[in-house]
Amino acid sequence: MGDRKKLLRVGVTLLLTLSVVLAGCGGGNNKDASNGKTGSDSEVLDVSPQNPIEISVFLNEAGQQPTADNKIYKKIKEELGITFKFEFLAGDKDQKLGVMIAGSDYPDIMSADQKLTAAGAVIPLEDLIEKYGPNLKKHYAAYWNQMKDPNDGHIYYMPNYGAYNGESAGTYYNGPAFYLQKAVLKEFGHPTPKTLDEYFDLIKKYKEKYPTIDGKPTIGFEILNYDWKNWGLFNPPQHLIGHPNDGGVVVKDGVAEIFANKDYSKQYYQKLNEINEQGLLDRETFTQNFDQYLAKISNGNVLGMFDQRWNFQKAEDSLTTQKKIERTYVALPLVFDESTRDYYRDRTVLNLNNGFGITVNGKDKAARIIMALDKLLDEKWQKLLTWGVEDEDYYVNEEGRFMMTQEQRDHQTDEAWKLANKAAAFYGTAPKIEGYFSDGNAVSANDQPEEYQAGLKPYDKEMLDAYGFNSYVDFFSPPPPNAVTYPAWSVDLVDGSPAMLASKKLQDTQTKYLPKAILAPKAEFDKVWDEYVGAIDKIDIKAYEDRINEVLKWRIENWTTK
Amino acid sequence: MEEIVSGTEPLKPLKKRKKNKRWTWKNIVEQRQLIFMSVPLLAYIITFAYVPVWGWTMAFQDYKPARSFGEQKWVGFKHFEFLFKDDNFLRVLRNTLGMSLINLVLGFVTAITLALLLNEIRKVFWKRTVQTISYLPHFLSWIIVTGIAATSLASDGIINDILMRLNLIDAPILWLSEGKYFWGIVGGTTVWKEVGWNTIIYLAAMASIDPALYEAADIDGANRYQKMWNITLPSIKPTIVILLIMQVGHILEAGFELQYLLGNGLVVDWSETIDIFVLKYGIAMGNYSLATAGGIFKTVVSITMLLLANWTSKRLGEERLL
Repeated sequence: MGDRKKLLRVGVTLLLTLSVVLAGCGGGNNKDASNGKTGSDSEVLDVSPQNPIEISVFLNEAGQQPTADNKIYKKIKEELGITFKFEFLAGDKDQKLGVMIAGSDYPDIMSADQKLTAAGAVIPLEDLIEKYGPNLKKHYAAYWNQMKDPNDGHIYYMPNYGAYNGESAGTYYNGPAFYLQKAVLKEFGHPTPKTLDEYFDLIKKYKEKYPTIDGKPTIGFEILNYDWKNWGLFNPPQHLIGHPNDGGVVVKDGVAEIFANKDYSKQYYQKLNEINEQGLLDRETFTQNFDQYLAKISNGNVLGMFDQRWNFQKAEDSLTTQKKIERTYVALPLVFDESTRDYYRDRTVLNLNNGFGITVNGKDKAARIIMALDKLLDEKWQKLLTWGVEDEDYYVNEEGRFMMTQEQRDHQTDEAWKLANKAAAFYGTAPKIEGYFSDGNAVSANDQPEEYQAGLKPYDKEMLDAYGFNSYVDFFSPPPPNAVTYPAWSVDLVDGSPAMLASKKLQDTQTKYLPKAILAPKAEFDKVWDEYVGAIDKIDIKAYEDRINEVLKWRIENWTTK
Repeated sequence: MEEIVSGTEPLKPLKKRKKNKRWTWKNIVEQRQLIFMSVPLLAYIITFAYVPVWGWTMAFQDYKPARSFGEQKWVGFKHFEFLFKDDNFLRVLRNTLGMSLINLVLGFVTAITLALLLNEIRKVFWKRTVQTISYLPHFLSWIIVTGIAATSLASDGIINDILMRLNLIDAPILWLSEGKYFWGIVGGTTVWKEVGWNTIIYLAAMASIDPALYEAADIDGANRYQKMWNITLPSIKPTIVILLIMQVGHILEAGFELQYLLGNGLVVDWSETIDIFVLKYGIAMGNYSLATAGGIFKTVVSITMLLLANWTSKRLGEERLL
């Protein structure tokens, strides 16, 4: 009998343990939600050192926690009563968001994502901003309609970039272009290649003259097409006919169509076929992975490529560290025909589907979160977030201009220093002033003209003088005003829709056939190209174009300023 | 022990218990420790192997996350149709089976050969050294192995370098840009990574062979090859068969990382496997239903193959799993 009782006891204990464990799994959200409630109901609607607020933040990119005594966050806490608790993405974004959505387990504010909107994880912000965010409202006033979600007309996210109160000085360009080593330009007396033919001529001549660089064979041209980094192969044709970056389509008069199978695309890929025949193209270009690509560029023996500078920035930084300034790159806006006006550089567009949104879990303190973000949008705090602390991180000269000493400048590229002295994690995704402050200083040190000049290397100074340029951006034509519909790449194709499927299939087809066409013997190019066009014809391209055009039409109706 | 037991009286209850297969309260009490020990395991299997099968319902819906079960839209076999009707499906199925078979055959042959050879080494030091070196790559992550493979196969990599020095080729071969090499590269890399590890189980099986057999063979004048062929191999046959049956169940698992990371536009016709297809058109596009349908297909094939292999093995009078 005693045994049986014991058995029962053990059994009951086991059951209890199991149920506690299971309850722990399921009950997470309730706990969080009720915590949020008790946190705000009893407090006044205010954010100040007397009424501090802690905001939990999820950022959808990998990053490092700022140090515990970070001087900027410390100031924000002491003077405004705002504390941030960051969580950075580790691993795959879609996976992490999927887990968060499945468990409804969100922080207070998060980086924007279509998945969150679709899952109803974020709350509409327009009323909150009207009521509690005067600075925010003013900041976004000109962009208000663009921020609305095409599906239901609500504003869910506060875009982190692209809301300008003036023009950007723009001494720096890191977007798409044909890049060319500075040494090539210098070698041939600073020409300005405008067309694709001129560009490849320079590369050819240089490679003939210098078959090796630092003991390694000179590589004429690189095309990176690895995983999602596919623009090196796909995007050039649209730019070569004078269109800005619209992703997979070219937009004419508000109507989008794909360009992958058009004649001007054929012209570009035929040219690549030709330069491959001449041995200018890296033989391994289509089999390399991203690391191998960066390694080659860091060696300094790659003369040119089509890319976006932020993508190969790491390799270029390495060249700078190796003091091989002549091997760093200039961005060139090439076109097919000299009469075409280049349109690579664009006026900054509102960075839709980016920036912070407030989640359903942060709902109860949403008003105070808006107040907090609103306070930080004040010029005083924006200066602290960009330039830093006056006389510590920058100085003000007699004319009231912000400048940096070389030491302060060096800090800006020192990751360890930044973790302790910059609020980069918050600033990157937060609403921010861009362009100029009301006192005329540029918001970012990169855009402050005299600061840019002072930071130039002697080699660059010499080269810019030879061209009579202020900065390398002068190679580009000034960008015209953006079309209302621009840019088409920010259209949400909707996960799992026929449009998304067609887009994916189109990319797969390009990845498969274009390398084949480029590497084919000259005589066979046409045959492979015809196969390629035939394969595209089998895809439901119409679904893809229709979806984009539907949204572009919506933009024309809703974004046009009346 | 046995002798003592059989020599005395209690033979009877033993026999009786064998006959009595019914669960009675008495033998539950008698075996309570065993039953308790199996509870966590059962709970584990139910929670992680049976409960998730409920998720298969997703394959028949247009599943959207964060919606309750009742709100999902049912679409029948739509996703299976998409999967089987897609032009690429036959191709990825062929690639999966091809690479999987290569891995299976190469894996077995190399592991058994290496185990046999290792078994013949008389000096323990060399045996241990070779064994350790050959199984170390098993602990590398696939990402690293892929990196090593990509670097070795590059135009200035070690493979081309050796072939050039041996004057076997005149110009470097771009291994990763030709579809015809791809399966071989995958097979070779997998063998390099796993061969040492796979030998461990065979070596363990060989260690348990009765030395008397070898002694008897010595007396009969068998040489080393004859002993290998007539004693060692037959003795580890049950192990080989069981492992083979289990592997056949994994016939649609050709690996993922290697093909995903080494694949490129030029070899896509040979490199894409079912897993990559499902990742691209399912998970990456938020189409979880398609991903589930792909998973169900793989499971059904796996179970069928496993049962088939098991049944064949039984018919041939060999070891079996079930």
